[in-house]
Parts: sequence; structure tokens; C-alpha cells
Amino acid sequence: MSFMRRPRLAALPLLATGWLVAVAAVGLLAPWLPLPFPAGAPDLLHVAEPPSWATAPRHWLGTDLFGRDVLTELLFGARQVVLLSLPATVLAALAGALAGGSAGFWGNQGCRLPLAAWLVMLAAVWWLAALPGGGQAAGLLLGVATLAWWAAPRLPWVGRAVWPLPLDSLFQAAVTLLGAVPRLVLVLALAAGPPLSTGHLLLLLVAVAWPEPARQVRAQMLRVRTLPFVEAARAAGLPTSRIWLRHALPHACHPLQATVPLSLAGLIGLETTLAFLGVGRPPDVSSWGQLLSMLRQEPSAWWLLASAGGALLLTLLALQRLARPNH
Amino acid sequence: MRRWLLIQLGRAGLAAWATASLVFILSRVLAAGAEEAMLGESNDLRVRTGATSPVARQALRQRLGLDEPVFYVTRTSRASATWRWHGPHNQYHHWLTRLLHGQLGWSFRDGQPIGPQLRKALVYTLPLAGLAAAAATLAALALGLALAGGPLATPTGWRAALQLVLTSLQGIPVFVLALGLLFLFANPDALNLLPAYSLADDPENLPFGTYLLQLIMPVLTLVLAVLPELALPLAAALRHELRADYATTARAKGVPAPTLLRRHALPNALLPLLTSFASLLPSLLAGTVLVESIFSLPGMGRLLAEAAASHDYPVVVAGVLVAAGVRLLGLALSDALYALADPRIRLAS
Repeated sequence: MSFMRRPRLAALPLLATGWLVAVAAVGLLAPWLPLPFPAGAPDLLHVAEPPSWATAPRHWLGTDLFGRDVLTELLFGARQVVLLSLPATVLAALAGALAGGSAGFWGNQGCRLPLAAWLVMLAAVWWLAALPGGGQAAGLLLGVATLAWWAAPRLPWVGRAVWPLPLDSLFQAAVTLLGAVPRLVLVLALAAGPPLSTGHLLLLLVAVAWPEPARQVRAQMLRVRTLPFVEAARAAGLPTSRIWLRHALPHACHPLQATVPLSLAGLIGLETTLAFLGVGRPPDVSSWGQLLSMLRQEPSAWWLLASAGGALLLTLLALQRLARPNH
Repeated sequence: MRRWLLIQLGRAGLAAWATASLVFILSRVLAAGAEEAMLGESNDLRVRTGATSPVARQALRQRLGLDEPVFYVTRTSRASATWRWHGPHNQYHHWLTRLLHGQLGWSFRDGQPIGPQLRKALVYTLPLAGLAAAAATLAALALGLALAGGPLATPTGWRAALQLVLTSLQGIPVFVLALGLLFLFANPDALNLLPAYSLADDPENLPFGTYLLQLIMPVLTLVLAVLPELALPLAAALRHELRADYATTARAKGVPAPTLLRRHALPNALLPLLTSFASLLPSLLAGTVLVESIFSLPGMGRLLAEAAASHDYPVVVAGVLVAAGVRLLGLALSDALYALADPRIRLAS
């Protein structure tokens, strides 16, 4: 874009990266920073006050409706970005790459499993769901599976008992299921219960975020698996799983480079939205969304909008800048 | 074509049912916690009236319909881990049969039936979402044409700036947009132009002008939220069409640039826009959740947000059903428009 090539804006990528690094550092180090006010401690003499730089209790960015220092809350709010949104994005990209990559590579017919593998899976399901018989039945199934594994090269009718695992159909079904309602509505519905712990919220965010990278990896994998180097690897007799993991998957994950920052921005937006609505988290967890939610009671609190809104906006814009190719 | 649409709709409908069932069962499994929370909240208000006694708890469970098993089969406990068959006397079966009779159940919070509540909320939400959809489409057309209208393949000058603004707008959460607009246009300290909050509960008793004035900011927020995903692909498609051979031929014939853009390129570039229509309605619905909460409109989105914040599961499940229905509607609508716009599809069916 020629607009971006002007020298005035040439430093933008550097600024964006710098801001993101600062947010990450602050988020990680927030509990050890020398802050004038401890996190979550209300200063009841100064409730909902604009920034005061002259008088004695120096709230650099003012106080919120509970009398907490906005600067402290802001710095601790960065923790949510680093400890919740970032891991959720990484896990979602990983899960999406594995799911979309295998669905695209093997399709519905490619992954043919022998009888023994099906029996092992059945045994695992039996044991996990505690179906009648429990451990004994699962053990019996495992025994039969071992027998089948032993017999497969020796008895032709056992060796021929191979059924395809419809990976692609399973993948499409999962994606359709998760796409049936807008992401925000799904998260609201699933987080409507008692406040979630960080781990559960992380799982929830990963569960709603993985289809996006998975779809991209699947589309790219459909292209990659027909390329000459994959054919060559097959012809050279490499095991299929190795071709998939070492040769095809790295290429199929290429589009993720540009989209991972964007999906991180999306998840930060989702997390702050949840905090803004007061759903799913205990109210004492500091978050930018929670700071912004106080604007509903006090619409003229410009210092809240400027600090929390500004930090959120800068982070999202920086992530967008990062996603655009540098040329 | 018709068959393809039916398959698509059937699949989406199945997914809607599965999602609603999943949310229902999960919520009922977790509802034990919600019931504790409700008892706790009522305890805060009334000073220890014995609401935590087992009898009161049992009565509450019975009133909320939580005393029956959740599903046809349930696992008794983790230690002994045996499955029990309950037959049709379970919460899921009752919910499903009631749903098939058109009944959505009763709210946990106030015990009111959900159907009338939803209907009252939709009176607010439908005009809001409809206006936003129409305005967003028109704005996307105008902006797309403006963005692609430049002499060069890559935009320069104000077009590049506009493109940058639209791209930046893409990732900004709806609630930040709404708060920003609220702060700019309904603030006694800045510009006090528009009313921020709805004053009356009843839209019919309100003067029409006031009602429209109140809708401006919510609609503007929704339009800004969905505009980039409509306008940017349209501009890209238009630019793609302008590079095609027929566009070169038209230019060589001496067709003026605006006519080329509007008459020749636009009809071909419209098809991707129609595809994004399928996702427009769901994202508008997700937007109303925030917009109605912030601008205090008692609509569907606010109902859902408040239900989620107060563990009112039956309302949440009803909201999920409505959202899934909206998505089905979006799919069907986008498909109908597609057939209307593209004669090849019409002739094929």
C-alpha cells in the first residue's frame, strides 16, 4: 500500500511490535512492579476521580467506581491478555492445524485403520464412559485387539478387515456444530454458569476459536498434498504419518502466519467483551473490559475510556499491523 | 440448486438442534451451581430465613424443574459408575416436547413464560437489526464503489486512507465502538447531540421521531461493526473485475469509468457480497447483545446478556435457539438473493 510507504509511517511496524512487547512484559511482571497502590485495594476517599497529578495520593490515571487505582488495574488487566488470550490463540492454532491438517490430508477415505485399531478405540471409549462391565470388558476388548493385531499378517480375512475413518466428515460436522450460532452467543451460553476458573475459560476460548485456523489449514492442505514433493516423498517410501507431519503440515500451516495475530485480536476482543458483560469471571479479576464496563454507570468517566479503551485499541491495531505483510 | 439449498439448510438445522441440546444439557448439569448461587443471592437480601434448609432447596429444585434426571440415561456416581435408564421422565424430554409444541419454558429468575418475553424483546430488536442491515448494505455498496473507483489498481490518497480506516475498524469489538460513539455524541462535556438511553419502555407510545432519534446511535454502531467485512471484499471483487478482459474491451470502446464500474463490473462483483449476507444477520445479532446492553434497549440481545449474567439458563437456551434460527434465515436469504442475481443459477434449477 503506497500510503504505508511514506517515511512518516515507516516506523509503524516497529512501534506496533514495541507496544505488544511492552504489553506482554507488563502482563507477565505486573505482580512484581513497584506500584504505588496494591491491586484491588479501594481508596474510598477518592472514588471515581479523574487523574490527579498535583495532590498527595497520586492516582496517575484516576480511580474507578470502587476507588481502585486505574493504572494498577490497567497493568493487571494486561495479565488477562498474556495469560488467557495468548495461550488460547496458540492452543487454538495448534488444535486447528492438527485437525484441519489431518482432515485435509487424509480426507474421508485416506485414513484406513485395521481391525485392531478400531477395537482399541472401542475399548478406550468403553473404559472412559464406564459402560456396563467397566474395566473387565475393556480388557477383554484389548485382548481381542492384540489377537487381531497378531493375526492380521497371518490370516488374510483379518488382514483385509480395514475400514476408513471418515476424518473429513467428522471435521466438517464439528465445524458446522460450532458455527451454528455466532461465537459470542455460544460463549455467552456456555459461560452462563457460575464463574469459570482461568483454565476452564481458556478451554472454552480454545473450543470456539479452533475452527477458524483449522479451515485455513485444511484448504491449504488440499493444495499441498498434490504437490510434487509430497508425491516424491510417497514414492520414496516414507511412512505416511511422517510425510504428513514433517513435509506436508509445515507448508499447510503457512497461512496461519498472517492470521494468528488477527485471531489473537479476535480473542482479546471476545475476552474483554465477556468481562464487559460480567459473564463467566468473578468480578474481582482485573480486566480492561471490566474497567470499560464501569462506563455504563458513569458515562462521563473519560479517563476510564481513555486508559482502558486506548490500551485495548492500541493492542488490537498493533496486532492488525503485525498481520499485514511487510513490503 | 434447490436440493443443495435443502441439504445446506438441513445440515444447519441439525447443527442448531445439536447446539441447543448441548447447551441445554450442559446448563442443566451445571444448574446445581446456579441454584446455589440463587440461594446465596436471596440470602444476601433476606437475613437468613432458613432458605438454605434441605426442604427449601428441594422446593426450589421442584419449582425450577430440576428434580428430575437430566437425560434419558445418566451415570449415577463416579465411584460405582453405573448407567441408569430413566425413560421419558427427564428434563431433556420435557424440554424437547414442549419446544415442539412451541413452548420455550419458564425463566428461572421470575418464573414468567419465555415466549411472550422474547416476542416483546423482538419488537425492539427486529427494527434495529433490519435498519442496520439495510444501512450497512447501502453503505457497503457506496464505499465499495468509491474504493474501487480510483484510476490505479492499488488505492492512493484518500482511498488508501479510507481503506486503512476500514481495515482498522475490522478488529475492534462492538462494545468499544458503542462506548466511543456514546462518549462522542451523547456526552454533556463533548457533543450532546443524540439521546443515549431509551426513556420509555413501550415503543408504541413513543413519538416516532424520538424513537428514530434513539435508534441512530445503536444502528450506527452496528453498521460500523459489520461494514468492513462487507465493503472490503466488495472493493476487492470490483478491482478484480476491472482487471478482466471485458473491462479492457469496454474501456477501449470508450465507456466512461463510472459507467464501467456501475454497469459492467458491479453486477459481477455482487455475488461475493451476497455470500457474506449469510453471515451478516448472525453478526448483527451478536452485535445487538452489546449494543442493546449499552444503549439500554430492552431487546433480544440485552435479554440474552442479562440471562447469561444471572444464570437464567432457560432464557439462554431460548436465545441460542433464536440465534440458530437467524442463521438459518440468513443462509436461506443469501441463497434466494443469489438465485435472483445470477441467471445461470436460476436457469440451472
